[in-house]
Amino acid sequence: MREEEFDRILSKKQEIIPSPGFVVSVMDAVRREAAALAPIAFPWKRALPGMIAAGLALVWCVVVGVKLLTGGNAIEPPPAKLLVLLGLLSETWRAVGASWILLALVSSLASVKLSMRYAYGKRW
Amino acid sequence: MSAAEDQAAVEKVLGGDTSAFEGLVRRWQGPLVNLAYRFCRDRGRAEELAQEAFLRAYRSLGAWRREAAFSTWLFTLATNLYCSELRRIPARTVGLDEVAEPRDPRAMDGGLEEEDRDGVVRRAVFSLPPKYREVLILFYFHEMDVTATARSLGLPEGTVKARLSRGREMLRSKLSNRLRADLLKKEA
Repeated sequence: MREEEFDRILSKKQEIIPSPGFVVSVMDAVRREAAALAPIAFPWKRALPGMIAAGLALVWCVVVGVKLLTGGNAIEPPPAKLLVLLGLLSETWRAVGASWILLALVSSLASVKLSMRYAYGKRW
Repeated sequence: MSAAEDQAAVEKVLGGDTSAFEGLVRRWQGPLVNLAYRFCRDRGRAEELAQEAFLRAYRSLGAWRREAAFSTWLFTLATNLYCSELRRIPARTVGLDEVAEPRDPRAMDGGLEEEDRDGVVRRAVFSLPPKYREVLILFYFHEMDVTATARSLGLPEGTVKARLSRGREMLRSKLSNRLRADLLKKEA
């Protein structure tokens, strides 16, 4: 079969006319979409201080780790206030059972991800 | 409705006038439904896909950059949606080997009747792997315009040309057996 013949066959227009209610149906869906409440945005402003503090703590940990690995005894003891703060954090962590909360969050996230993957395929 | 009117309608929608979107739907419903129909050959599904494409367009109108025409942006969005949806739930098509013999007795003398022959070629297109099938469908939808096809698929023109050529080659080989049998029948 020659190329021109493919072109002739596949170029043939087989137009279909959308059903009379198509525009109404699309506009109904659009109006529903417009009327739906906007999704709640992530509270960046509130989360930012915590995220910065976590970032600083991580940097501090890395610095201490590097010093430990390279300098051995050369590291200075952390200031007393910091130790108190860390102790307080650790107490709070234990008091509220943060480990369990973290575990619950991780397992929920994993189960949601898995269900989305089963429902929608690999892009999830 | 012209490109300028499209843009004006988009501005109105972005300004909060949802009803202005209706003009865009009226103007582009035909092309979008027909494009979907070429991908799935099912009228009902074509309308569902086109509706979803319009909804997505409504949601992401703000992302349309004015450098490209609204139609180009809309076709790219619709093409992406159709391709991904049809890869997820493929269109139900009849295999090339399952195509029934022509019922019209004239076809036995004169080879496949034109309509049957067209049907066989179209079904053969559907039996191609998606990346070749999508390029072929869009190329003929855009009236054999490689640039428009490449833009709709977000691919370089060279890739589109290569896939077109490979797709046609595969079509030829798929159809050759069928057409050879037809020729033998004609000779007998």
